[in-house]
Amino acid sequence: MLGGNVVIKSLRLAAICGALALAVLPASANTLRYGGTTPPLTMDPHSTNDFVTASLVRQVYDSLVGLTNDMDIEPGIATAWVPAGENTWRFTIREGVRFHDGTALAAEDVAFSIMRQKESALYRSMYGQIREAKVVDAKTVDVISQGPDPILPRKMVRLFVMSAAWAKANNVEKVPDLGAQGTEAYSLRHANGSGPMRLVLQEPGQRTTFERNRAYWGTFNGNVERAIYTPIASAPTRVSALLSNELDLITDVPLQDIERINGAAGYMVSSAPQQLFMQLEMDGTRDVALDIWDRNGQPLQANPFKDLRVRRAFAHAVDAKLIVDRVMRGQAFVVGTAAAAGFGGYQKDLDVRWPTDVELAKKLLAEAGYPNGFIVQLHCPLQRYVNTEEICRATASMLARIGVEVRIKGMPWPEFARMLVNGPNSSFHLIGAAGNSGDVQDTFTSVMATRSREKGLGGTNWALWSNAEFDAVTAELVGTFDPAKRTELYRRGLTIGKEQVHAVYLHQPMLTWAMRRAVSVPARADSAVMLKDVTIK
Amino acid sequence: MFAFLLNRLAHAVLVLLVVSILAFTLGSTVGDPVASILGLDATPADRAALRARLRLDEPVVLRYFLYLGDLLSGRLGNSYGAQRPIIDLLAERIPATVELALAALVLSVAIGVPLGVFAAAHPERRIVRFLMTSSVIGVSVPTFILGIILIFTFSLTLGWLPSFGRGEVLKFEYWTTGYLTASGLKSLIMPAICLAIGQIALVARLARAEMMGVLRTDYIRFARARGLSDRAVNFSHALRNTLIPIITVSGIQLGYLVAFAVVVEQVFQWPGMGTLFLQALSQTDVPLISAFLMAAALFFVSINLVVDLLYAIADPRLRIRSLAHGAGG
Repeated sequence: MLGGNVVIKSLRLAAICGALALAVLPASANTLRYGGTTPPLTMDPHSTNDFVTASLVRQVYDSLVGLTNDMDIEPGIATAWVPAGENTWRFTIREGVRFHDGTALAAEDVAFSIMRQKESALYRSMYGQIREAKVVDAKTVDVISQGPDPILPRKMVRLFVMSAAWAKANNVEKVPDLGAQGTEAYSLRHANGSGPMRLVLQEPGQRTTFERNRAYWGTFNGNVERAIYTPIASAPTRVSALLSNELDLITDVPLQDIERINGAAGYMVSSAPQQLFMQLEMDGTRDVALDIWDRNGQPLQANPFKDLRVRRAFAHAVDAKLIVDRVMRGQAFVVGTAAAAGFGGYQKDLDVRWPTDVELAKKLLAEAGYPNGFIVQLHCPLQRYVNTEEICRATASMLARIGVEVRIKGMPWPEFARMLVNGPNSSFHLIGAAGNSGDVQDTFTSVMATRSREKGLGGTNWALWSNAEFDAVTAELVGTFDPAKRTELYRRGLTIGKEQVHAVYLHQPMLTWAMRRAVSVPARADSAVMLKDVTIK
Repeated sequence: MFAFLLNRLAHAVLVLLVVSILAFTLGSTVGDPVASILGLDATPADRAALRARLRLDEPVVLRYFLYLGDLLSGRLGNSYGAQRPIIDLLAERIPATVELALAALVLSVAIGVPLGVFAAAHPERRIVRFLMTSSVIGVSVPTFILGIILIFTFSLTLGWLPSFGRGEVLKFEYWTTGYLTASGLKSLIMPAICLAIGQIALVARLARAEMMGVLRTDYIRFARARGLSDRAVNFSHALRNTLIPIITVSGIQLGYLVAFAVVVEQVFQWPGMGTLFLQALSQTDVPLISAFLMAAALFFVSINLVVDLLYAIADPRLRIRSLAHGAGG
């Protein structure tokens, strides 16, 4: 009896010591300690589209088509892809790739992953058109869509390959989601991918630990053996954690801290343009705009934004360059078309913004019948994008110069999202626009095309902009494979968008990382710290 | 005593019921869970399907009763954001918050009470006036600013204390503790001070006021007449009589400490319920938001209940009065 007790006690003690030893494992020279704003929600690559999660999951799971640090596509798990018939793409699967549990990656795993991820409601807009992923032979998979899909390979940079046998053995063949009451899916904190890092430990909401996958098929450009990611929501704390040497690298550096960090000895800042651009969207459909008044404060029984002259007036009145210089402290690029550097289909020579010209804007407004301007409410999302509140205030003061009084309505993101999704109930708002896959075609089909539930177009066209000529260009683009022809269509679409002032384009923000000088890694537009490319001196 | 207990319990249940209504309505006013889960890109069909699955289309009253039924049978459901059972999430986070709040409570009593006694015994001293004035500052400086100042001083400039996290923790069955490791204790210092500072001022002022009252009473004068030392009079005679209100207030303050911990946890990235709650808010994680509110309410109500009962034990008059009241009504 007594002996048993002693044994149990010493076992417990041993367990505690073990836990201690594990916890105080010294941070070796090649351990990267890094931090960002939010924790990864899950380690299951298919059950969320949260971009922080995706950037961490990318370390463990390889995507079917790779993504370079400059956001170009490159061979990943697939070494080659060619169109095979009208609606089919044929992918050649890399040989010799092994999952972290040692099993070989086969064509079946690729087909399984495609079908698994496409079932998630979160990925419907990207992969919903895929009908079937068919294993042709041991190293070939055909992806058959419901219609032609020229940018499918580009979309596949977000398609993560998971072991089918592992998923089956752990009862996560289907994407786990909210329905599973009272249980936690195995794939939430376990992973079996083929990526450059293996998942050592996922402590939800607190810490994620990776170690180098020695059997990785690709090359390591860095020397990191181990990495620990910690979310720190409060920005001042995150910056302090870096400057007090508790972390080696942080993402999402607040703009006002950039100079301070650059000035501190031994630290530096690195930035990259985000795959996103900010724009002011104006109601293109309603006959009577929402939240709009005449100069006397009486509701205006019209929609001034349906008049191109008003749209042009706004475009010429809002000085995007000034916003970039002052509000964004230079950490952004002015955008002149509905695309930004790094997007597939971006046309650099067209990217020239409307000149700022207050006199011209006033004249246009007078011609449109509003010589004294009007009053309009601007819906302004308070989170999610950088310095939105200041952008809205700057916009208001710039439009005041042409007699338009802007009433800013700041909204926390959940409220803003609800307003758009359940409406959209806004005639004038600030928002970040992007193609889902980073191709301008997605911007065309989702953000700019006329909203149509049947055709599945304009899903995020929240201002209901509509232009028949533009819709025709989009319809032709989605079925065109010839690169030269596609370029021509991209150019036509972007030109129409600019001439018709689809929206007042503002800027492409940069995302900023800060790190100790001993650490080097290129900042990436998708916010992924690629651990395989991190070097610690 | 039994009637008194019953009476208090009924009160507690009523409070919890009211909070459950608030938690239920708040959950659906902070945003649209479907918009938050599916994001902006989802198709209308998927939205409708999810809406139906989460039973958001049902009438509000029916949804509330379903929610209440789930609560009563202990089914808190899954968090939308974390995709895990809420009960696990809470169990994981509660120790961190409770340890932080307890540390702050101990600090506030250990510093506040002697400070108050000293101030009452020597009201004319300049140092006392200075301390009492600065205690007002202690109450009025926003917690997050204090937190950032602390981090700036002790992490960034001096490099003595970690700026975030809980350090190493030991795990015992369902509880994790940072009290037993060096790094855990080091990590605890700044958040605990930050959380305690307002409480120290409160306890000190309370102790001072109570002491001043007691010091004027006859038996203190007799004690002095007996030739007892100041120290003996202040601490063993006077203080003992001021302890009951101090204990009561501190007990109730424990509830506030847990609630205020939200801000402190955010600043120091303390892995407790506060950070969990803020994440839930930003994701419109309705089940988690309501569960947090219910857990907090339960905590408050339990503390109040215990304090009430202790009071009744300590002071028989309360017991009798409530019995008479109960019999009369």
